[in-house]
Amino acid sequence: MLQQRNEKAFGYLYDNYSGALYGIVNSIVTDKEIANDVLQNVFVNIWRKIESYDSSKGRLFTWMLNIARNASIDEVRSKGFRDSQKNQSLGENVNFPGAVTGPAIDDVGLKKVLTKLKGELRVLVDMSYFQGFTHEEISRALNIPLGTVKTRIRSALIQLRTMI
Amino acid sequence: MESYVLGLASEEERREFEQFCSQYPELLAARNSFELALEKQALENAIAPAVDVKSKIFEQIAGTGKVVTMQPAAIKRTNWFKYAAAACVILLAGSLYYNLTLYNKNKVLQNNYDTNIAKLNSVEKDIEILQQNPNIKMASMKGLDASPQSYATVYWDTTSHDVYLMTNNLPIPASDKQYQLWAIFNGQPVDLGVFDMKKEKLLIQAKNAQGAEAFAITLEKKGGSLTPEGTMYVMGKL
Repeated sequence: MLQQRNEKAFGYLYDNYSGALYGIVNSIVTDKEIANDVLQNVFVNIWRKIESYDSSKGRLFTWMLNIARNASIDEVRSKGFRDSQKNQSLGENVNFPGAVTGPAIDDVGLKKVLTKLKGELRVLVDMSYFQGFTHEEISRALNIPLGTVKTRIRSALIQLRTMI
Repeated sequence: MESYVLGLASEEERREFEQFCSQYPELLAARNSFELALEKQALENAIAPAVDVKSKIFEQIAGTGKVVTMQPAAIKRTNWFKYAAAACVILLAGSLYYNLTLYNKNKVLQNNYDTNIAKLNSVEKDIEILQQNPNIKMASMKGLDASPQSYATVYWDTTSHDVYLMTNNLPIPASDKQYQLWAIFNGQPVDLGVFDMKKEKLLIQAKNAQGAEAFAITLEKKGGSLTPEGTMYVMGKL
């Protein structure tokens, strides 16, 4: 019904999942106002791309979650967002990937789970999942061999599965 | 599996994993349970977004639903034809009106042209009379005390005795008055007739004069007088 672009079904989808997706967006885009704009774009994109969703490749929520995550990372990495953050005082949201004790991770959602990971794994997952860096970029940024980055992220994700 | 679900896998890894899923049902089941756990986790940590986000979304997607999107092409086409037809009718009406206006204007201009040609012909004829006849004598009549600016000319044919008057400058008379032309012959005024001021005619033909030493114009009662009674406006000797 949703793939027929039924607005009523879409409204139902919004009512049930906007909060969960907003939680994800919010853990990446910390500015509340921008996070709301991102969420708006996420749902508009869901509406537009709904026909490309393939249920054999995963659950609908997983598909939406990835749209939300990608949109959030795109926003954080956009020039406009970085400029808007420049004027803010250094605080809890400073992204400094090198520091193990580093970014104070917001204790919500997946990030809460993340806090249970060992420090070094936590940074890798944070950079990879919440900030969208590629393994190569993480390797360069943290000065860790690429193979090590891949192995550590794999083990971190496996640990994550048991924690969720 | 985790990187696949979390969207961290490369395109190649994704294809590979999908291949495995279709081969091993237990892998598909594991994937599904991880996805469910992730969803449950996310739902438990849901945060309510701003209240107006929903209405903004629906504003943005309004009218983009399937049922609506199928129609516009056909509707637009008919609308286009309707507008084009309406535009044609308006243009045609405007053109007809413009043509009619031009036709009327043309008629007026043609009339004016005909009148002017007629005037010109009559003037040319008058000039011919004066130029081609060697017997014509001219008397310039200057304004007198009553009207110093007045001026008129008499052309007199000494053989045929025809008299032509040109009113170069005479004031328009009152409606109950008329100008009268006189020849002065042997010291006596001889009536050459009354005349009206006609702009379209250069020369006015007066009564014949058998002889004259001078000419004069007086303003008389309508119809003229036997002997001059009114004010004399102009006079000139031959």
